[in-house]
Amino acid sequence: MATKEAEEVYEKKVLDRVSDAFVDALANLFDKIRPGWKVRNQARVDEWKLMFYAFNRSPIGIAGAVLVAIFIIIAIIGPWIAPFSYGTSLALCNQTAYLAHPGTVVKIPKGCEALGVKPGTYRLILGGDSFGRDLFSRILYGARTSFVVMILVLLVGPWIGVALGLISGYYGGAVDETIMRITDMFLVFPGLILAIAFSAVLPSRISIFLKDHPWVGSFFLHLFALHPTERGALASLVSVIIALWIVWWPGYARLVRGMVLSEKENTYVEAARALGVSTTSILFRHILPNILGPILVYLSLDSGGVILTEAGLSFLGVGAVPPIADWGRIIYDGSQYFPSAWWLVFFPGLAILLTVLGFNLLGDTLRDILDPRTRRSIEFRLKKKPKTKEEGEEK
Amino acid sequence: MRCKDPIIVVKDLYVNFYTYAGVVKAINGVSFEICRGETYCLVGETGCGKSVTSRALTRLIKSPGRIEKGEIYFYPEPGKKIDIMKLSDEEIRKIRGYDIAYIFQDPSASLDPLYTIGYHVAETMAFHGVVQSIKEGIKKAAQVLRLAKMPDPESRVRAFPHELSGGMKQRAVIGMSLANRPKLLIADEPTTALDVTIQAQIMNFLKELKEKENLTLLLITHNMGLVAEMCDTVAVMYAGEIVEEAPVEELFKNPLHPYTRGLMRAVPKHVGKNVTLESIPGTVPNLIFPPPGCRFHPRCPYRFDPCDKKRPPLIEIEKNHKVACWLYAKEGGKR
Repeated sequence: MATKEAEEVYEKKVLDRVSDAFVDALANLFDKIRPGWKVRNQARVDEWKLMFYAFNRSPIGIAGAVLVAIFIIIAIIGPWIAPFSYGTSLALCNQTAYLAHPGTVVKIPKGCEALGVKPGTYRLILGGDSFGRDLFSRILYGARTSFVVMILVLLVGPWIGVALGLISGYYGGAVDETIMRITDMFLVFPGLILAIAFSAVLPSRISIFLKDHPWVGSFFLHLFALHPTERGALASLVSVIIALWIVWWPGYARLVRGMVLSEKENTYVEAARALGVSTTSILFRHILPNILGPILVYLSLDSGGVILTEAGLSFLGVGAVPPIADWGRIIYDGSQYFPSAWWLVFFPGLAILLTVLGFNLLGDTLRDILDPRTRRSIEFRLKKKPKTKEEGEEK
Repeated sequence: MRCKDPIIVVKDLYVNFYTYAGVVKAINGVSFEICRGETYCLVGETGCGKSVTSRALTRLIKSPGRIEKGEIYFYPEPGKKIDIMKLSDEEIRKIRGYDIAYIFQDPSASLDPLYTIGYHVAETMAFHGVVQSIKEGIKKAAQVLRLAKMPDPESRVRAFPHELSGGMKQRAVIGMSLANRPKLLIADEPTTALDVTIQAQIMNFLKELKEKENLTLLLITHNMGLVAEMCDTVAVMYAGEIVEEAPVEELFKNPLHPYTRGLMRAVPKHVGKNVTLESIPGTVPNLIFPPPGCRFHPRCPYRFDPCDKKRPPLIEIEKNHKVACWLYAKEGGKR
């Protein structure tokens, strides 16, 4: 009944049909796993459709989603579609790609295995850098570096803050004071400077650790799509990740603490206490799921921030070590040749700009759509339009 | 000693709340005992400390509140004594929801909106090792809900709190409390948020349940009608103190304390002439600066010399009828 009305009220376009079909397919899948799911959760399915519908009406959100999707696809398949490897210079095959203009064509002769490519003609679409390496390939590899750092940072850093915020908000008193004052100390110190300090200090320790535990090194090598010969360069990348963990939690601790303060006053928390539920269980099973929405939105808005900070760190020389492709590092290396070889700065800069912009636009739209209240207002606004049309026709 | 076989004994309990405005002396030397199998009622105005007293029984007082002193003994079985104040947090957690369970005022707020009714019931059982896992508990939840007279319990197990009506939610909450067959059930104004018909249903059901399960009930309410209907023994609280304690019939027939009399006059009667209801003059005292002596004396029509200087002791006037008032303390007998 409700869905029928909804179909009459909303104006559906191609994109909406696609998202509706996607939601239906998902619902059918759940229904197969757990028979009866679809009937019981019809309201939830309708709500999901509405979320997609509202999202499809937001050009900004779609633009963000497209940019983010491109970034993620490039990050995953980039190393396979890149014509050359990130570190090898074309000079190995006696080709001069030194500061080559975008669009330069190179001929790879037979009997040159060092590059790992088939002989033939290749066009350097984005030009070559000061070591005669293909800029396009390096940018593709750089996407992987940024993506992996972003995921690893966001998988750990914010959750340290979430855990501390939960504890601080729930226990209150001296515990709260202690944790929040430490958080304040981290907040007054500029994050980037602190991250520089940590990523400058950490690598020596980490390289010792990686030597002792080679499997950890191999794991990261595969994640970053690096050559096995680059094992030594891993320490600096890992230390960037750890440095970002250290500086990335205070905001979340603040956010979560505030939400816990209001959430813990609910009677269901007291009821759980009165039923003898343990504190950890109250925190992680009852309070955390109830405040998860804002945390997820904050995470999606923050993803761009991590990429930007990581690029900033390598631009300042503390992140990725030379042969590794990293957007910040490429800009730093290219900045010496800037006015003449503009492409060395322009293209990686454009990549950073579009990626961060994409994440921010997506996060902004998600915030509106994931909040039931603003979602209702979007729904209300959208529902009205076709109705006024009908009235106009009647007149 | 009033009871031969008490289930809980509270002696000289003091609870303070440390707020920015000052120290609120919320509970000021409360002593009482509840016999096994009876229904014990705490009555009094809003803010007189009924709920705080009940929460103190399992040390549920949250910061900024603190139990200053007092002794609380719990007897899960006759002769087996547990000193609640000396238990570790871990040990007291095992008593909460297992031996002593609570039903709170607002059923819609007592349920986590993210979990199904079955999960709530299962969580209680799983935490106390009654079932091995939450999954197993959910299977057994329907049985528990049937005990709580939930209509169609099999499908309600999978329902979320927002899908139920107020009365059903309260039944779910009662089901949660009963899941582990507690010995003492503390119902803190269980029907305030419900309408009158549901209130009657829930109360009848609690009465039935008490007989069937051999439960002891501590009922907290401000509804005198409910007190007359449900209770065996009543304690009247005023400003953090018990001012009178008596068997229910005795209290209604022969209220001794001026405050209890005032309360009785403020309740409409079914029979007799239409009399204008009386209210007790004045307001509940500020517990940061409680009045010296008897805390009721500024509002008391009978006050005289020692009232504003010394606190009256709770003395037994008749068998099981105790009152804290200088009117009776002096003569040591009937008025």
